[in-house]
Amino acid sequence: MGTLTEAEVKSDLRADRPWVCVVWDDPVNLMSYVTHVFILLFGFSKEKATELMMKVHVEGKAIVNSGTREEMELDVQRLHEYGLWATLQRDDEI
Amino acid sequence: MSGFLRSGDEKITITLSSQEAHVLINLTEQIIELLGEEDGGSHLSDGHTVDDLMRMVGISTNDAPPIDPVLLRLLPSAYKDAEQSSEFRRYTEHGLREKKRANAMTIREALMPQDEDWDNDSPLDVAHITTVIEVGDEISWLAGMNDIRLALAVRLDIGVEKDAKPQHEKYELMVESDPMKAVYAVYAWIGWLQESLLKLL
Repeated sequence: MGTLTEAEVKSDLRADRPWVCVVWDDPVNLMSYVTHVFILLFGFSKEKATELMMKVHVEGKAIVNSGTREEMELDVQRLHEYGLWATLQRDDEI
Repeated sequence: MSGFLRSGDEKITITLSSQEAHVLINLTEQIIELLGEEDGGSHLSDGHTVDDLMRMVGISTNDAPPIDPVLLRLLPSAYKDAEQSSEFRRYTEHGLREKKRANAMTIREALMPQDEDWDNDSPLDVAHITTVIEVGDEISWLAGMNDIRLALAVRLDIGVEKDAKPQHEKYELMVESDPMKAVYAVYAWIGWLQESLLKLL
């Protein structure tokens, strides 16, 4: 194995850092619908789902889950199925 | 009275006038068609395209973000980074299109006229259809109606910026003859339908 460059070492150190799934505000999506989808996909309580929905609505975005990159990709995929605007990123890029 | 209702036997039904049903059928057909449009790929010797083979395993050879703003709203990018987004699209966009088409087809099939469902003796403007929403199909209806509203929103210029209220006022103030006012009325009506189903869940 060759010597790792500084950039590669950095990327290696970051490899196990959690990824986050971010939901962005889209005025088309009804507040009650967004809450319903959060409960359905993440099993949140009504209170927690409503709180996150309000965060999206007021602040423009909210982190709804964190985990491995593969897990967050699956979350984004499922949120897109329901028409919510979601992206994933490393948690230190927020 | 139009909209979703929970009947005495706990089943959810939707009642629509025939005109309302036709509007909804027409919109689901547009969504199905739009999501089915894929770019042609290079042909193989047996007449199939590379895309055909890739599709069989759920991978798309076209990983660029959709140019059509409606498709982009329905199939948004998963990453800020273009390269990561493209790779994600390669492996997921085909499946996402199929899921959304299936939701639209669930709505369409439930509303397609079957002789016994239609009150043919009534004049067209009062004829109505009542259909039972199959258990488990509620979420397909919600997601399918949401996709229609997302698509209409692009045409209505309702963006993702925080401008929903001014847009609402803009359409309220439009003259009746403006065709966009009618489009907005359909958009608002489907939102109302979506809400009426959510209240029953």
